[in-house]
Amino acid sequence: MSFGEDHELIARVVSAQDTAAFGELVRRHQSQVRNFLRKLAGDVTLADDLAQDCFIHAWDKLQTFSGRGTFIGWLLKVAYTTFLQSRRKSKRYAEILQEAGTVADLESRNYTVQSDEVPDLDRFLAVLSEEERAIMVMSYACGLSHREISDATSMPVGTVKSVIFRGKQKIRKSFDIKDHQHG
Amino acid sequence: MAERIKDAEDRLLESMFESVPVADDGFSISVVRKLRRRLWLRRLTLPIAAAVGALFAVKPLAGLVTTLAGLSVLVPQNIVSATSNLIPQAQTIALGAVLLAVCLLGLRALEE
Repeated sequence: MSFGEDHELIARVVSAQDTAAFGELVRRHQSQVRNFLRKLAGDVTLADDLAQDCFIHAWDKLQTFSGRGTFIGWLLKVAYTTFLQSRRKSKRYAEILQEAGTVADLESRNYTVQSDEVPDLDRFLAVLSEEERAIMVMSYACGLSHREISDATSMPVGTVKSVIFRGKQKIRKSFDIKDHQHG
Repeated sequence: MAERIKDAEDRLLESMFESVPVADDGFSISVVRKLRRRLWLRRLTLPIAAAVGALFAVKPLAGLVTTLAGLSVLVPQNIVSATSNLIPQAQTIALGAVLLAVCLLGLRALEE
């Protein structure tokens, strides 16, 4: 079976519930989505589970894709929402366990850097807040424009720019990188 | 990123954030399999829900039909007997038709 552009596949999924066409969309974009979630979650297994959930949500919501931006931009928005929902759930789970008096080791799910052996990028990401991490990854790893990031995170473009600026400052400070912009 | 001018720091960050593509390794197949399973479940849910609903509805519907049949005394007897003579299973057919109509309407409502 031959597959065309993304928009043709999307049309086939929306009009005929074509799972083969959707499978092709997954095959094309899984790498970016999984990489995005891996950087965000800091845990490969969790990220891959979230990526599966993300694609299932994408199937359910595909008719809401207007085709204005890129499909990967829209997909990363779904991935980010899936990630945030999972965080909320695990936070709630930790609260319930705490209320029940159980010691939960859920902190291991947070992004932590424990040794010098971890790659540089992981050390960079660890100094950022969750929001900053998501936006920096969308910008520098996925190559989304500020407008696309604004759509994906439901933040104004100005806020996206200032979060990126703040993230860069933090990385500069933490790793003593020379400020190329200001000398 | 066309909307902003990249400086050396941006390029450094881009190279830091660059990652090796993740191999599919059956990921897309497992997503599609999961989807198909969900679709099948959804398709089965409707008829099962209709059947269960019909089971619950049979008794009250039978009561309703009996009540309606009781009202048939209001209809001139010669008309009732004429219908019964022409179609002996008229009551069963009427009950079946009502049940079918309710099921169809229910299915449509569930689908919507």
